[in-house]
Amino acid sequence: MLLSEVQTDKKVLIKEINADAILKKRLRALGITKHIKAIVLEESLGKQNIKISIGSAEVALRASEAKQIEVEEIK
Amino acid sequence: MKKIVVALVGQPNVGKSHLLNSISGANLKVGNFAGVTVEKAEATLLRDGYKIDIIDLPGSYSLDDFAKDEKVTKEFLIEGEYDIILNVLDSTNLERNLSLTSELLELDKRMVVALNMDDEAIKEGVFIDEKELSELLGVDCIKTSSLKKTNLDVMVDMIIHTVKEPKKAPKFYYSDAIEDRVEELVSFMKSRNFKLTNHSNRSVAIGLLKQDRTIYKMIHEEPIYAELLPLLNNTLEKLHIQFKNRDSNEIFADERDAFARGACLEVIKNNKKNITSVTQKIDSIMINKYLGIPIFLFLMWGLFQLTFTLGQVPMDYIEAFFKFLGDTAGEFITNKPAKSLIVDGIIAGVGTVLLFLPNIMILFLGIALLETTGYMARVAFVLDGFFHKFGLHGKSFIPLVTGFGCSIPAYMAARTLKSERDRLLTMFIIGFMSCGARLPVYVLFAGAFFTPESAGNVLFAIYVSGAFLGLIAAKVLRLTVFRGDDEPFVMEMPKYRLPSVKLIWFTIYSKSIMYLKKAGTFIFMASIFIWFISSYPKNIQIEDAYTNKIETALEADKNIISNEMKKKLMENTYLGFAGKAIEPIFKPLGFDWRMSVATLSGLAAKEVIVSTLGVLYSIGSEIKEEDDALKNIISREIPFASAIAFIVFVMVYLPCIAATAVFTKEAGGKKYTVYLVLFTFITAWTLAFIAYHSLLLLGY
Ligand SMILES: Nc1nc2c(ncn2[C@@H]2O[C@H](COP(=O)(O)OP(=O)(O)OP(=O)(O)O)[C@@H](O)[C@H]2O)c(=O)[nH]1
Ligand SMILES: [Mg+2]
Repeated sequence: MLLSEVQTDKKVLIKEINADAILKKRLRALGITKHIKAIVLEESLGKQNIKISIGSAEVALRASEAKQIEVEEIK
Repeated sequence: MKKIVVALVGQPNVGKSHLLNSISGANLKVGNFAGVTVEKAEATLLRDGYKIDIIDLPGSYSLDDFAKDEKVTKEFLIEGEYDIILNVLDSTNLERNLSLTSELLELDKRMVVALNMDDEAIKEGVFIDEKELSELLGVDCIKTSSLKKTNLDVMVDMIIHTVKEPKKAPKFYYSDAIEDRVEELVSFMKSRNFKLTNHSNRSVAIGLLKQDRTIYKMIHEEPIYAELLPLLNNTLEKLHIQFKNRDSNEIFADERDAFARGACLEVIKNNKKNITSVTQKIDSIMINKYLGIPIFLFLMWGLFQLTFTLGQVPMDYIEAFFKFLGDTAGEFITNKPAKSLIVDGIIAGVGTVLLFLPNIMILFLGIALLETTGYMARVAFVLDGFFHKFGLHGKSFIPLVTGFGCSIPAYMAARTLKSERDRLLTMFIIGFMSCGARLPVYVLFAGAFFTPESAGNVLFAIYVSGAFLGLIAAKVLRLTVFRGDDEPFVMEMPKYRLPSVKLIWFTIYSKSIMYLKKAGTFIFMASIFIWFISSYPKNIQIEDAYTNKIETALEADKNIISNEMKKKLMENTYLGFAGKAIEPIFKPLGFDWRMSVATLSGLAAKEVIVSTLGVLYSIGSEIKEEDDALKNIISREIPFASAIAFIVFVMVYLPCIAATAVFTKEAGGKKYTVYLVLFTFITAWTLAFIAYHSLLLLGY
């Protein structure tokens, strides 16, 4: 599934990032890469933006970016 | 004395600037969001016979040039001259921070690592074995806290020590598959006796393999390039095949991340997984999908209410003080022109500006709280969806908010935006966010034309509608000039932090001092200037003619005639002539010539608008009545519709000259300045025209 579809408070494992090189770099810089766990913490109205926790940091993303991140729900 | 130059490097918001302030007593800007420092800054300290220059650089997540501020850092690291890198890390987020550290190690420079925010790490139960980390990295590591000032002296000693000692070889290596390729290039360079000053061959080789633009540019200019190129292509090809990945940068980054992960596993002991953190709890309310925007609006509204209610108390005193000063001066000075200069020129001009100091302080309190608590990034998050509809990036919020203080740092803050187009677009609409210097105009007019109870709401409405106009302007520009795709929005959200009272106080204090200084120098001169050109040349004939008239007039008419005389006199001064000349431009907006002059003089600095109004309405005001505060004079002499049009015009028109100069520099082209002048002026005029005539139609 895609990160944009995950419900709040669910924990996921990042499987694949389907973004262009620039965005991929940016995501990695903030700790968002393959094999990393993340939790979706908050979403804005209409799910336009989400806030996830990644490692010990928190990162905000737009849905259009979250759509480019493939994840798998974990316990 | 020996000199040591230290490059202060680290990811954003790890406390670099704070650290430098703590060790050197500097007052660099500190704030709790990524991208506070956007330009190199320097501080110096003396220790053990060394003069240590520390260069604070913009925070950077990695050395891939991304946004304009991060480019500053990379450029300095690659091309600048420095003796040692002080790499600052956030101990509570070690893994991600170590990715940058391993990238810095590639540069093959002397380095010291500061594990900052140790106080928070202790609170969160994170224990880092810094000895082991030093072993792993091959550079000295030390736990510090810029807040609690722990270990700072030891850290400085460590820097001196590391510079004195011969440089140690780095301990961070890539896998053999990469190192072999690096070695191929290094041995080739060695065989040609090639060596770039300030760069080891190893770091050049890695840069080439990562296809790093800066390194390519440097090598491109060297004679060796022609010979190196075939070898490089061959090596790259091998690398890509071996890793089944054509993105060299990613190959390297993967390995660095793996190294960082491994290092963390080894050095972090006893990491109690924190349950829901305080930040998460606060955020569940502050950026709640339903409450987020209302909370933000409420806080803003509260701030403007405060500006009025709380600000009014000291304002009354300041007003009384200057009235007293004016009256006393008026009594003691017998020379008529001198009296007029002091009372109508200096006291009226400077006094009017100083009157608004309390409002300015409250405004900056609000901005300081926003910047230091961590709420800034939240608002960017909450507003992004909305901003996006207008073609703006959520991150634009940061420079825009800075713009409520002053446009100059706001233009600089726009550097954190990655895309050049977003950056320019944001810069074009920063002017719509009314800067602190315009606040006096609004406070004056809101106070003059609205009841005290609603004045705060009016102020809030002015700011919100200014921001709204800015958004609409952004949309228009996006559809016409700055067309293009959306930029991604990925932003770190810092932890909420309690701001130190000292820091907040310092911000307000330094802004107040700046304001006072401006009032004492620039506004002072401007007031004298305006007074002079509005009092001279003296026109004896008019004066004589009216004096006769007044003497023969009925008692009841005396006031009216005397007012008429003042008006006539003023119209025949230099300023009067100039005002008349520009009046046609502003007449359709309902401005009298004094308002027209005030808008123009406001180009020098926005505070000059009120000082000019102060001088002009003081000289030309009607015979002294009981209450002659500027506010009351204005509400008597300016029609409501004109006043609103004036506010609208001031809200939108060009930022002051100093800000425009910075705009030109940051935008990187004079043509943008021409666009800005035309764009803001035409918009301001049109909107003021609409406002004026709609109000007239409505019967005001
Ligand atoms: N608790 C704690 N907070 C700190 C410490 N150092 C810095 N901070 C806070 O962390 C935030 C960021 O500090 P800055 O010094 O602005 O960070 P920076 O690294 O210069 O950030 P950029 O300029 O954006 O790259 C501020 O709110 C500081 O008050 C520390 O040692 N402990
Ligand atoms: Mg900084």
